[in-house]
Amino acid sequence: MKNLNTLILSFVFVLAASSANAQGPTPNITDSRLDFTVTSLKGDSIKLSSLKGKVVLLDFWASWCVPCRFSNKYLVKLYNKYKDKGLEILGVSLDDEVSDWKKAVAKDKITWMQGIDLGGWDALAAVKWQVDALPSSFLINKKGDVVAINLDRDELEKKIKELLGL
Amino acid sequence: MKKSFLFVIAGALWIAGYSQFSKASLQASGLTCSMCSKAVKVALEKVSFVQEVKVNIKNQEYSIVFKENSKTDFDELKKAVEDAGFSVASLKVTGNFSDVKAEKDKHIQLDGKNFHFVNSSNKVLNGEQTFTIVDKDFLSAKDYKKYSAATKMECIKTGKAGECCVKDGIHSEERVYHVII
Repeated sequence: MKNLNTLILSFVFVLAASSANAQGPTPNITDSRLDFTVTSLKGDSIKLSSLKGKVVLLDFWASWCVPCRFSNKYLVKLYNKYKDKGLEILGVSLDDEVSDWKKAVAKDKITWMQGIDLGGWDALAAVKWQVDALPSSFLINKKGDVVAINLDRDELEKKIKELLGL
Repeated sequence: MKKSFLFVIAGALWIAGYSQFSKASLQASGLTCSMCSKAVKVALEKVSFVQEVKVNIKNQEYSIVFKENSKTDFDELKKAVEDAGFSVASLKVTGNFSDVKAEKDKHIQLDGKNFHFVNSSNKVLNGEQTFTIVDKDFLSAKDYKKYSAATKMECIKTGKAGECCVKDGIHSEERVYHVII
């Protein structure tokens, strides 16, 4: 049953995200099939749906993923530029070791929200969002709708500005 | 009378060698960060005799557990990795053995497969043992070159028994895995 759900979800995803003239409901972070809770650097819980109302970039990464570390350099600049204008980034690490994750966060000077859900590829958050490669990112508007997946840098900034009304 | 006869046959089978591969660890390589893709894990999980695949980030390898009493085929692991768009950088297979004589450049049958020990010094294998497969496309081109120079026998180039090995009772078209211990 769970498999069937994810299958349907991925189908909805493809429809909604890849086409501007999407048919069917747009995936929303308040949907229990997408919502998840991860543990923050301090050990608190972060619930994805609690971020509704902000423009959110959900970024799946890991300390051992070299392309992710490379992307972090860019995200630091992007976050500093738009954090006061309503952008939130939630980084979800697929690391197996909390220490590896914390070390990478410090080294890359990451100041945005960070969460971990130990379990690598099988972590619930990664399974729910059908993450099959790192890095993977999802852009979410203020209503909580998933509006774009894996945008390149130029497209990402353009879309963020648009969603923030800048 | 009948009973003791059966007993003798069973005993003979046991002496002929018990061998069963149980697990492996595999490294994949490619143009991109191979560990950053779930594709290799998913592909390996789909192989019929694979029970479980765990990603070992520290060693950059996949730890694979085989289904008990299943027929293993290491070429299938390689094919799965290649079909996922990557290549095998290392494949080490672990099994349990009892009184298996591993002589250099001799071919022996283990667990239904032919093996050629490239570097062995007449060891008798007992208990859990790990072999590294050194056939072409099971390791880097550089390492393959190194190991293929360790034997003069043609079969290391083809992976098939060929003419050089028929004396060991293996058909020339049969697959031979070249391994080091």
